[in-house]
Amino acid sequence: MSRRASGLRAWALQRATAVYLAGFALYLVIHALTQPPADYAAWQAWVARPWVNLGLLLLVPALLIHVWVGMRDLLIDYVRVTWARVLLLALLAFGLIASGLWAVQALILARMG
Amino acid sequence: MKLRVYRYNPDTDIEPRMQAFEVKSWPGMMLREALLEVRKQDESFAFRHSCGEGVCGSDGMNVNGRNRLACITPVAELKEPIDVRPFPGRPVIRDLVVDMTQFYEQYRNVRPYLVRKDPLPEAEVLQSPADREKLDGLYECILCGCCSTSCPSFWWNPEKFHGPAALLQAYRFLADSRDQATDERLDDLEGPYKLFRCHSIMNCVDVCPKGLNPTRAINKIKDLMLSHAI
Repeated sequence: MSRRASGLRAWALQRATAVYLAGFALYLVIHALTQPPADYAAWQAWVARPWVNLGLLLLVPALLIHVWVGMRDLLIDYVRVTWARVLLLALLAFGLIASGLWAVQALILARMG
Repeated sequence: MKLRVYRYNPDTDIEPRMQAFEVKSWPGMMLREALLEVRKQDESFAFRHSCGEGVCGSDGMNVNGRNRLACITPVAELKEPIDVRPFPGRPVIRDLVVDMTQFYEQYRNVRPYLVRKDPLPEAEVLQSPADREKLDGLYECILCGCCSTSCPSFWWNPEKFHGPAALLQAYRFLADSRDQATDERLDDLEGPYKLFRCHSIMNCVDVCPKGLNPTRAINKIKDLMLSHAI
C-alpha cells in the first residue's frame, strides 16, 4: 500500500469522466433547447424514461469523481497547511457524498413516480 | 534605449528595487550586450552569461514579463523601457542571479542517463535511425530554466513537482530505445506531485527559447504510464 495519493488513477478517472460529462451535457443542452419540459409532470416523465434515468444515474458518480479530482488538485496546489487541507478535503468528500446520495434518491423517486 | 533592471543584494538591501539605465543601442544588439553596457555603468550589477549564442543556457531572465535568454533576444523587438527581472519564484542571490538548486535537484531526480540491465556490449549500443528520430525535440534542451520558472505548478510546489524541464528529460530517456528502466522510471513518477501537478498550462511551451514542447512530452509520459498500467 502506497502512502501517496494516486496520480495516474485520478488523472485517468478525470479524463474518462470528462468525456462522459461532455457528451451528456451536450445531450442535456440539446434536449432543453428542443423539447423543454412544460411542467413538473413532463420533467418527471422524461426522467423516468429508462435510458434517461440510467444516463442520469451514471452522471452522478461521474460528476462527483470529476469534481473530487479537480478540487483535490486545487487544494493540493493552494492549501499548504496540512490540517486545513485535510479539513477541506473531508468537508468536500462529505459534501459530495451527500449531494450524490440526494441526487440518486431524487432520480429513484422520479422513476417510481 | 531605456532599461529598468532589478537590483537586490540580500546582504545589504532591505528590499529589491528597479534601477533605470540609459544605454546606446546598435543594429542587431542583443539584450545580453545591453546588460553588459549596463555593467560598464555600474560594475556592481550581477547577471550570469557565458556563450552568448543560446547554447549554454546561463542568461535566462524575465524580460518584460516573459522568461527569455538575453543573448538571443534582440533589443529591437522589446518595448521600452525594457524591464529586466530575475526568474520568478527562485530565491535571488544577487540582482539577476538566482538560486537554481531545486531546479537541478529535480533534474537529478529523473535519472537523466541511460540505464542498462543487459551486459554492456564490446562497442556502443546501436540504435536505428527511426528510434533515434524519437529523441528529436527532447535532447535539445539546454536546461536554461525558462520553462520551469514560468510554470505556476513549479512555483507552488518546486520541492515536489519535477517541472517541465526535468519531465522533458524524463521522457527523453523513456523514449530512448537503449534505455532499459522504463518501469522503474514510470513507478518513480507516480503520485500526485512529481508528474501529475502538470495541468497543461503550457507556459513552458510558450517561453522555451529552443522551441521545445514539454507539455507534449508530459502527456506522452501519462499515456505511457496508462498503457503500462492496464
